Amino acid sequence: MNEILWFVSRATGVASIVMLTVVLVLGMLTASRRPPQGIRSAVVMGLHRSLALGASAFLVVHIATAIIESYVNIDAISAIVPFTSGYESAWVGLGTIAVDLVAAVVVTSLLRHRLSERVWRAVHLTAFLFWPLAVVHGIALSTSDEPVLRGLTIAAAVAGAVAIGWRVFATDPDTERRRAVALQEWS
Amino acid sequence: MTPDLVDLLEDSGLTGRGGAGFGTAVKVRAAVSAGATLIVNGCDGEYGAVKDGYVVAHHLDELVHGANLLGRNGIRYAAHRGSRTESLLRAAGLDVLSVPQRYVSSEESALVSLANGGLARPMTKRVPVVFGSTAPDGRSLPPTVVLNAETVWRVAQIADRGPAWFRSFGTADEPGPRLASVSGAVLAPGVVETAAGVGVGDVISAAGGAARSPGGVGLGGLSGGWLSPAEADGAVWSRAALAAYGFTPGPGTVHVLGEDECPLQHVSTVLDQAAGESAGQCGPCMFGVPAAAEDFALLAAARLDQGGWHRLRERLGLLPGRGARRFPDGVAGYARSSLRAFADEVDAHLAGGCSVTYASRRAHAVAV
Repeated sequence: MNEILWFVSRATGVASIVMLTVVLVLGMLTASRRPPQGIRSAVVMGLHRSLALGASAFLVVHIATAIIESYVNIDAISAIVPFTSGYESAWVGLGTIAVDLVAAVVVTSLLRHRLSERVWRAVHLTAFLFWPLAVVHGIALSTSDEPVLRGLTIAAAVAGAVAIGWRVFATDPDTERRRAVALQEWS
Repeated sequence: MTPDLVDLLEDSGLTGRGGAGFGTAVKVRAAVSAGATLIVNGCDGEYGAVKDGYVVAHHLDELVHGANLLGRNGIRYAAHRGSRTESLLRAAGLDVLSVPQRYVSSEESALVSLANGGLARPMTKRVPVVFGSTAPDGRSLPPTVVLNAETVWRVAQIADRGPAWFRSFGTADEPGPRLASVSGAVLAPGVVETAAGVGVGDVISAAGGAARSPGGVGLGGLSGGWLSPAEADGAVWSRAALAAYGFTPGPGTVHVLGEDECPLQHVSTVLDQAAGESAGQCGPCMFGVPAAAEDFALLAAARLDQGGWHRLRERLGLLPGRGARRFPDGVAGYARSSLRAFADEVDAHLAGGCSVTYASRRAHAVAV
């Protein structure tokens, strides 16, 4: 039974990484300088929100099973407070920070209609921090002896990094033209 | 300056010679009350204009005298960087504002921005610049009055010779002598001294007359428009008369096309240049003008289909009134007036030909 819990924890952990990466990519698409237009924007937005909640469910299972099983020493406190677990304190701690950030992002998004846009946005931007933490946590722990799990995590890392790069560096025609004009002689 | 001078300007009916034709007395009175500094605009910013340079080259003493009468709070002379006008002004020891060689940079608020250490780009005018302006970064810029070089020269003439002399030229509504810059297919291109109310043909004659029989006449540069040869024949050179065609003489530029030039090809070349003039401050200017110029180029090349023709007219209709400034409005008016004046040529191009260059294009096609 204990062993099953351990395997469930690892499986849901990898599933969470993959799903959250998809959520991240969809978010980058929405927030980019060339966002999806028309009906596609609604589909992207809907998927972003639904998958985020779905991934949260997997995360809950991932954490609960990690606490319950006794193969490694992780208690309920260390699921909330970073760097307090007996097992791999540093790598588990990164996951703990990531989970705390996800919780903040999910809660502020569910309460978005009661928050100012600035507060919601400030919290939402921590997704840029949580995602790399989660990926490092995933790569560092428990996937080393499983090529499939490790491969999935690395693929997620690449996909997310590309999406973030595109979000940061992609421009729109307006920005490009203004930049080009500004380079001309104006003074 | 003295209150007497403002009265003299009022009596003379002098209007700005930079193209807008605003009453100089009103502007000068505002400048006095605001304590504005003076910028004498000698940029010849309009396509085809050379008259500011002419005033600087031939009437510099009177120009400086006029500026000294007006500018008690400081005077600068604006000229395009690298132009002959700039070097003449510098040689005379005057305070020169060196302006980038761009269409929109010699606009009033662009000059004020440049003079105060900003970029030579037009600013949003909440109030006329003579009462002070706000830079894009929020700084308050001091009151500045910008007057065209010819206007300042006329002020000196009026102070010297009086309003009655001034009003002996031109019409009652548009009095005074004025300069025209004549270019294109004329025997003696350059500046002619004339006045409102003469025939467009008279202005062309004063520049030696058309070298070939004309294929059309462009007035007021990029912010003006076109007359067909038949229209130009009887047209009167004044704001009142040209209002029927939807434009004004502007700063007095007159461009004569020869009958062996395709007018649409000429307009297309000008529009391509205009497409690169944007200061990058609003969509209609950054994207609308180049889009219209692209379609116009297809029209000039006789490669525009019916869908494209519809799109071109739609885009020209969308440009006016939507920009941060009036540049897209001027370009749209310029293009539309050419479609009106050269309607026969437009039909020929939509049918895939060009009555002017058809023979040479056929020869080209055979050669290829």
